[in-house]
Amino acid sequence: MIPYIAYLGISAFLFIIGLAIMMSRKNIVAILLGIEFILNAAALNFVTYSKYSAHNLDGHIFALFIIVIAAAEAAVGLAIVIRYFQLKETVHIDEASELRN
Amino acid sequence: MILNLLTNLSYYIPEIVSIVTMCALLFLEASYKASEKSRTMVFVASLIGLVVVLFSLISNMSLEPVSLFASAVVVDKFSTLTKILMTLGTLGVVYLSYKSKDIYTGLKSEFLIMAMGVLVGGMLLSSANNLLTVYLGIETLSILSYVMSSFKRHESSSTEAGMKYALYGGISAGIMLFGMSHIYGVLGTIQFSEMVPLLKELTGANLAVMLISFVLFFVGVGYKIACFPFHMWSPDVYQGSPLPVTTFFALVPKFAGLAVLVRISFVFFSNEGALQIGWIGLIQVVAALTMTVGNVTAIGQDSLKRLLAFSSIGHVGMMLLGVVAVSESTTRIILFYSIAYLFMTLVVFYVVSTISDKYGTDSHSVIKGLIYRHPLMAIVMSIALFSLAGLPPFSGFVAKFNMLSAVIESKYYALAFVAAINSVISLYYYMRIIKMMIVEQPETNEKIETFNFINQALITVYAIPVLFLGIFWEKIMLISDGAKIFIVP
Repeated sequence: MIPYIAYLGISAFLFIIGLAIMMSRKNIVAILLGIEFILNAAALNFVTYSKYSAHNLDGHIFALFIIVIAAAEAAVGLAIVIRYFQLKETVHIDEASELRN
Repeated sequence: MILNLLTNLSYYIPEIVSIVTMCALLFLEASYKASEKSRTMVFVASLIGLVVVLFSLISNMSLEPVSLFASAVVVDKFSTLTKILMTLGTLGVVYLSYKSKDIYTGLKSEFLIMAMGVLVGGMLLSSANNLLTVYLGIETLSILSYVMSSFKRHESSSTEAGMKYALYGGISAGIMLFGMSHIYGVLGTIQFSEMVPLLKELTGANLAVMLISFVLFFVGVGYKIACFPFHMWSPDVYQGSPLPVTTFFALVPKFAGLAVLVRISFVFFSNEGALQIGWIGLIQVVAALTMTVGNVTAIGQDSLKRLLAFSSIGHVGMMLLGVVAVSESTTRIILFYSIAYLFMTLVVFYVVSTISDKYGTDSHSVIKGLIYRHPLMAIVMSIALFSLAGLPPFSGFVAKFNMLSAVIESKYYALAFVAAINSVISLYYYMRIIKMMIVEQPETNEKIETFNFINQALITVYAIPVLFLGIFWEKIMLISDGAKIFIVP
């Protein structure tokens, strides 16, 4: 049986990867990818805790909600990024500096 | 069980009406023709829906606190009052969007549909009773807000605003969720009422994990109310979005975020202990920095929208003071501050919207000599700005005074000192606008004629509470009497 701590380790690893992607990558689509990493890390945590320590279904339900909402968020985020690409022909985060005083 | 759920629905009429209005607007949109009549019909439909929501909320005011849908949400006086505030804000913004030219002209009822959706999210958030509802509320609020801020599809600035909002929002929601997952892991439940007794027994490593998790959790809520380390999106989004949307963002998500922050602080952190010290310390630092950053940065701004964004950050810092001094009376003070802030913001944005529609820019220079061009507008704007700065006898003064006295009562003298200094700083940039409007000569002597009678009447109606809440504030405080947070199982 896979020990409890392995799941938490993987999820912490995913979380850190997500944060690192968001801080280092300049491509907006890659940043959206980083957000997905973080959401999945949280979902994995919920399911793990649900199975190993809480012994109720709250965590499973939470994970389902996370999956649905992450999809909605990615859809809206990508739609906006596509629109931005149509207008400016770039998805580089440093180019998005029109709104600055 | 099913019967129980059905009876619960009767408490939930405001939300149901909002959702029904939202769906009705979708159907109306299908039969939309590009004519003035069709446009008016859509707006009237949404106004009717909102008024019904408002009345059903007012009739909910007298209810005993109760938890619904297997303790997912709680309906108490505090949440109902917050919902009333949000509905009033939406009503004001809906009319503003009807007359504003800033919003994309080919727009049909999209704005209204999204606004109703955000309102539902805010309602969910303000009555959240478990972690899942908090998350759902924040996401409902956020995802629709991303769309709203990129409404001007043909301008890259608006799309950029939406994009920045979506990126910041996604990141902070993810971090919040990671915090929530560990809170669930340590306590084994997501229900607030079940979590409270467990929190007292935490020791050692669990306590440390809990503290870190609550800091992560604060990221999500803090981003929604735009407080210090997570305020970076706010000026950009405010500037890039169409003006009615900016007004909307200054009101509804802020109230919802504050409501959930107040609820969490009261439910989890009203017992003395390491958790309370940590949380209050965090909020203290955040409040002081939020105020200072907001007010200091506002000084150098040329765009009026950006200036108002920073000023609203400053006000959020002020409202956080009420969260620091956790006690029953501060809930009322925060609610009063929100009421005052609602009307001041509506007046200021209404005027800025009219002016920037006329001149096509929201830079400082368009407001020069406003009193020669439209005296009523200039006077009303001055009242609102004096009130925002917190000068007596306006409502902003009473709100700030109550807040400061609550903080001093709880012996946070340093924080009160920072808040007082910040009031002085904010006075500077508000007075600068008033000086521009009243003392300086206009560039053109052309009168503003587009501001018709209905608009003048409306703006006066908004200004009356700003003036009179400063004098008859005790009566308003009575309404919010008993608006404390209940932990309902």
